[in-house]
Amino acid sequence: MKVVIMGCGRVGSTVAGRLDADGHDVTIIDLNTQAFRRLPGGFGGEHLRGSGIDDRTLVAAGVREADAFIALTQGDNRNLMASQMAKHLFNVETVVTRVYDPLRAELYGRLGLRTFSPTRISADLAIDALLGTA
Amino acid sequence: MYIVIIGAGNVGYGLALELYSHADYEILLVENDRGRAEVLRDELGELCVYGDGTEVTFLESIGVSRADIVIAVTGDDSHNLIACQVAQHRFGVSRTIARVNNPRNERLFQTLGIESTVSAASAVLAQIEADLPAQSFIPLLRLRASGLEVVDLHVQPRSRAAGVALRDLDLPDDAVISLVVSGDSSRVPDGDTVLEAGDEIIAVIGQESEPAMRELVRSPDEPQREIDEVLQ
Repeated sequence: MKVVIMGCGRVGSTVAGRLDADGHDVTIIDLNTQAFRRLPGGFGGEHLRGSGIDDRTLVAAGVREADAFIALTQGDNRNLMASQMAKHLFNVETVVTRVYDPLRAELYGRLGLRTFSPTRISADLAIDALLGTA
Repeated sequence: MYIVIIGAGNVGYGLALELYSHADYEILLVENDRGRAEVLRDELGELCVYGDGTEVTFLESIGVSRADIVIAVTGDDSHNLIACQVAQHRFGVSRTIARVNNPRNERLFQTLGIESTVSAASAVLAQIEADLPAQSFIPLLRLRASGLEVVDLHVQPRSRAAGVALRDLDLPDDAVISLVVSGDSSRVPDGDTVLEAGDEIIAVIGQESEPAMRELVRSPDEPQREIDEVLQ
């Protein structure tokens, strides 16, 4: 499937590398070209410098033909805005959004985005590790 | 009436001062830069508060659920969008107004149910377009609910509309000529009305029909230009 990823940080570059290795058609966007250095050697997808909350960047990244969009920048609001653009302006079928704030993650989950909160996941893991239940 | 303003830059600050002078309004100005918030607190007292207007916990602490209007005017469109959406969907605030810094985001905000959007760039461009001499096409008003536009057209000499009866004019389906102004008199036109060069037309049109309408009244000498091109 064709996947557009916004944010080439540690998580974004890892996700891009794995999806590419699995044979998916990946385009990754970041504001900073230096960020693309994080992509694994042999990465066969596309990378594009630009803002994921700019519709022109999204179109250039091929969001119109994309099956999935994943927002993985550090900014919750940027991730949420870009994801809604992908979903509501460009009708991307599957939209996954990282939202650090668990309350916003829950709210936008109800509004139709597939959100996940690293804060909540980390808290759960920390407690599991502490109590030895993991 | 309780009004929450998010973003205490020049726009938010000016708006807060303006609204504050109305005795009926209770205003709260939210700023997420601590230094800026402290400066404003010295000047405005409890009118200004430090916090993130997109954060659920913070919005709860300022009692946003009893707000009549939330107005988000930061310089960042993503903050303005999320602040309005959280106020609406989490706290049931019925009226939200967002500043749109990038005019190209207006459609997104409207699609997502933000009641009103305010775009300085669009307003400035519309004003400039209206003031430019010999403009044949001036957008006057956008009717949000229907997506229709009220426009002012000036029939240019030798344009396709000049000297032609309305019924013979190749109008787009969603265009209605509502008023024809000749000199200092105006009339509601019918199919027999013949448009003359120099006439002014007030029409209600679909946004898609803009280029076709511009083309009808344009002088063959006038270069074709569109406000969208200026914005790109």
